[in-house]
Amino acid sequence: MSITPDKLRYCESHEWVYLADPSTGIATIGISAFAVEELTDLVFMALPKVGQTVTAGSEFGEVESVKAVSPMYSPVSGTVVEVHTALVDKLESLGVDPYNEGWIIKVQMSDPLELNKLLDWEAYQKQCNH
Amino acid sequence: MDPIPGLVILDPPLSGPRNMEIDDALLKNARPDWPVVLRIYRWEVPTLSLGHFQQIEERESSQGLMQLPWVRRRTGGGAIVHDRELTYSIVLPKRDGQPTKGHNEALYRAIHLQFVHELGKQGWDAKLAETCTCKLSPEQKSEPFLCFSRRSPVDLIVGRDKILGSAQRRSVSGLLQHGSFLLQGSESTPQLPGLLDLEVRSALGNGIAAWQNFFIATLKDGVDQLLQVRWQNGKLLELLDL
Repeated sequence: MSITPDKLRYCESHEWVYLADPSTGIATIGISAFAVEELTDLVFMALPKVGQTVTAGSEFGEVESVKAVSPMYSPVSGTVVEVHTALVDKLESLGVDPYNEGWIIKVQMSDPLELNKLLDWEAYQKQCNH
Repeated sequence: MDPIPGLVILDPPLSGPRNMEIDDALLKNARPDWPVVLRIYRWEVPTLSLGHFQQIEERESSQGLMQLPWVRRRTGGGAIVHDRELTYSIVLPKRDGQPTKGHNEALYRAIHLQFVHELGKQGWDAKLAETCTCKLSPEQKSEPFLCFSRRSPVDLIVGRDKILGSAQRRSVSGLLQHGSFLLQGSESTPQLPGLLDLEVRSALGNGIAAWQNFFIATLKDGVDQLLQVRWQNGKLLELLDL
């Protein structure tokens, strides 16, 4: 099933998170179409390893565009259980479909209530259009 | 809207690690109530700075680079030999109500366009590169190791030579932009001429002090194209106790 941006939660720093099945507590994380557009041409991405712990608001990786390095911040706390390593060799897919093909990591959440602190689609759009 | 306070810091030549430590601290500690910080500096000895993700092994292709001390920047882009050049860093703290879309990219475009304007007034054939050597797919060969051998659309070129390049690091606390203005070629990179190696002679002459004043004034004017800043000179200690 395709993920659409209105079903996601967002950080102010432009990462999205999606909880496909609440019973698993596994959240999928990526960066928004707005972030990809602002970063312009992406050339490199540094990703975490499976098993690494992340905390909400902390850096889990970095992305480099032609002119800039930008950290990626985790929207939730937990343990990285899957990393989309193939994405590093096809960063252009982030520009095509950042919400499906462009997923970056999956995290076993330690506190699912953290999702409630994040922006919904409407609030995130308002931030981007400011 | 009231002008934003801005602080110009003119530092003495420092070591590579010290220069990067200061810039990192300025970004890490930036707060919404901080001024815009424009820091101008040079380097104690010719130093190679690597872009954040560059591999140090890549410098082995050039004997001239192997002899230089090196340091890693937190910003992106290619390696720079900091020798006969002027370096700046600018930190824009993230502010509530600050426009989001296109803001970061607009900063280096505004600064570089100001250099195009000011150098053009003095007779230099200055323009934006409008081309790109970027590595955008796995099939493409990697970019040149050195920043001044690369081209991105907003790089400043004079004739065919790149004279000013900038790169950024963006974070939740704000934006750090580094830039290097190449005045003269280095013995370590003889293939890369600086502005004063080119044919046009400027009324500013070859003295470093005059070019430093030009550099600071043009940077301030460039930032002012994007933000209204009330500049004043200051000291690092007013912000950080490093």
